[in-house]
Amino acid sequence: MISPMEKLRKTEVYKSIFRHKYEDTPRNRALQIVDNVFLHLHPVRVPRHATNIGYTWGMGGITFLLFLVLTLTGVILMFYYRPTAQYAYEDMKYLMHDVPFGPLIRNMHRWGAHAMVITVMLHMFRVFLTGSYKPPRQFNWVVGVVLLLLTFLLSFSGYLLPWDQLSIWAVTVGTNMARATPLLGHEGPFGPQLGMRPDADVRFVLLGGTQVGPPTLLRFYVGHCIFLPLIATIFMVVHFWRIRKDGGISGPDTGKKNF
Amino acid sequence: MNHLLELVTKPDNIPIVGLLLLVIFYSWLAWTKARKNDSQQLPDEARLDDKVQVWPYLVRVEFLAMLVVLLILVVWSVFINAPLEEPANPALTPNPSKAPWYFLGLQELLVYFDPWIAGVVLPSIIIVGLMIIPYVDINEKGNGYYTFKERKFSILTFCFGFLILWVSLIVLGTFMRGPGWNFFLPWQDWDTHKVVVLNNVDLSEYFGMPSHFPDNSLNIAASAFGFLVIAAFYLSLGGWHYMKYKNSDVVKKLGLGRYALVLGLFLTMMFVVLKILLRLAPPIFGGYPVKYIWVTPWFNV
Amino acid sequence: MADDITSSSQTVPPQRPQALSQESQISATPIPKKPKQDRAPENDPGIWRMGRKSFLSFAGWLSFLGFIGISTVGALRFMFPRVLFEPPSKFKAGLPGDYVIGEVNEKYTEEQRIWIVREREGFYALIAICTHLGCTPRWLTAENKFKCPCHGSGYYKDGVNFEGPTPRPLERAQITVNDDGEIVIDKSIKFRYELGEWGKAGSFLKYVG
Repeated sequence: MISPMEKLRKTEVYKSIFRHKYEDTPRNRALQIVDNVFLHLHPVRVPRHATNIGYTWGMGGITFLLFLVLTLTGVILMFYYRPTAQYAYEDMKYLMHDVPFGPLIRNMHRWGAHAMVITVMLHMFRVFLTGSYKPPRQFNWVVGVVLLLLTFLLSFSGYLLPWDQLSIWAVTVGTNMARATPLLGHEGPFGPQLGMRPDADVRFVLLGGTQVGPPTLLRFYVGHCIFLPLIATIFMVVHFWRIRKDGGISGPDTGKKNF
Repeated sequence: MNHLLELVTKPDNIPIVGLLLLVIFYSWLAWTKARKNDSQQLPDEARLDDKVQVWPYLVRVEFLAMLVVLLILVVWSVFINAPLEEPANPALTPNPSKAPWYFLGLQELLVYFDPWIAGVVLPSIIIVGLMIIPYVDINEKGNGYYTFKERKFSILTFCFGFLILWVSLIVLGTFMRGPGWNFFLPWQDWDTHKVVVLNNVDLSEYFGMPSHFPDNSLNIAASAFGFLVIAAFYLSLGGWHYMKYKNSDVVKKLGLGRYALVLGLFLTMMFVVLKILLRLAPPIFGGYPVKYIWVTPWFNV
Repeated sequence: MADDITSSSQTVPPQRPQALSQESQISATPIPKKPKQDRAPENDPGIWRMGRKSFLSFAGWLSFLGFIGISTVGALRFMFPRVLFEPPSKFKAGLPGDYVIGEVNEKYTEEQRIWIVREREGFYALIAICTHLGCTPRWLTAENKFKCPCHGSGYYKDGVNFEGPTPRPLERAQITVNDDGEIVIDKSIKFRYELGEWGKAGSFLKYVG
């Protein structure tokens, strides 16, 4: 008697999707990785300490997972959110009170963002403590620092979107530092001497006005939803690719190759 | 005590409590592993370098981690609502008014430095400083395993920056800064009317040189004095270190350029601490807190 | 894989591949350069020293970099619109007689972020934006000072800073009287104490009534 699962595995449709046999053999385990577009991010075999969560802390992977969760919940939130001073706060209220699962999605987005900042910092802490930035991984550390910066910027730009008191004042204080930028800000050292004005300096690029107002909301929205995620994705692609190219997970040099 | 409980359970403060616990746990974990590795010939990671197949040995760990993280996130989101305060009002600043929690370390520095330093120059130095770490840390040991013995300077410097100057200042900013950005112990109630006298003076005034004359024009002598103090800080400490270690292997291998870069960044980190101390320490001895070390017509340090 | 790529070019002396394979597996064997046909001889004093091909290459790269540069400037300029839709900077603030001597008037703080202070000799208008990082300070009548909730900067009643991290005093806005005898305040014209502007016309409205 052949089980229904086995019958299914003999169908043409199944075989067209999974191109290797089901038996648990080392060859099929390897094919499971190389034949899958997502899993082939990984090598086929890794040193045992790469699976030891005490060594890796898993923070890089968790950061990537949180990025995916944030992308998904963020897209869902966009169905109800309008980035104008007139509607933004109303839409938040609407989401929190009248949209089924609205609060859950928004909470996951907010708490996921906080969690991502934490995991990104811990990931960097671990990579430093294991000396994993040392040759040949120097450049990937630099890419990682850029990703850390992008994580902060993503979180900061999202902070303004609810358009409540917390948002506007955190962003007012944050962007007012930009006006003190040396040379490029209208209150920074040598800024006025170089002709910087409140309506023509580096802070204006962020705000789209001389104070935090409706144009700022739109600029932050576009930055938060499109511009920064796009750049972060590009850097993530490079980051992951370089992990493989630099020899996979870091580890002590025991004369064996890791890939 | 109720106030402490309120602070710790405030929805937006929960991540900081989590961060604090996680950082303590992981510091302890890394320390334990480093001590163990340092006490044996071969680090633990070197014993685990035989190959295993990613499917299933790595993929299952990742899958479990994913389930655990999603579970925590969903439970967290079901039970605790993200705060939504009053609608934005440009005329009414909440008291206290705080930046997002991960920037509270920088906001704390804003008390001691002008915005162009605390908000622009120091963050840029942090980012650039982090980026150049792999290129100035020429110690070949400690690549790919936990250790302390083999790279004491780099680990101590990084931990000072991350644990003390970044994480501790975040915790301080969250739990001990109340209305008017006054300092409160975590269990003290936030009194909106607390009056703290903050009559700051410039460093040169300690030596009888006001930085401005009564007609509000700049005192050139005081400005030059401030410049000399800062130059003396960098040159004396840097010069002392160079004289002592210029023939050591590390300095020779680094080369003068990279050595000066590391020294400059390290001294800048120390300078931040020094400036904070100049503000906080004098009142303990009955003196005035120091506002600026160096005053110029264009900027103040 | 990489072992296959070793240099076996004829120009390499026979003993070198062996030495190379220990150091690196891929060696860059220099291919002898062909003498460039279109390049003028070194001693040619002609005006077209560059040669046709290298000139075209240079011009091509120059136009490409120029295109990138101009596009960047254009994108940056795009972020600065010609017209801003911000609230008008001028507003009327009633008759001088409505104010009490010695009082910091907060009637227009909510809408305009301006305090109007009436002293014995006249008026001045302080802009309610902390010069530290732009929060709105509060007027504390009991303590006779302005106090910023963000970082604890404090100012005297006349706007001069005396405590906290702020680098300079509050700014004053232009204050004048129109033909109807009403106070008019223009927030776009500012007077800064540290530049010695508080003595200028418009920074203080003389009025004894």
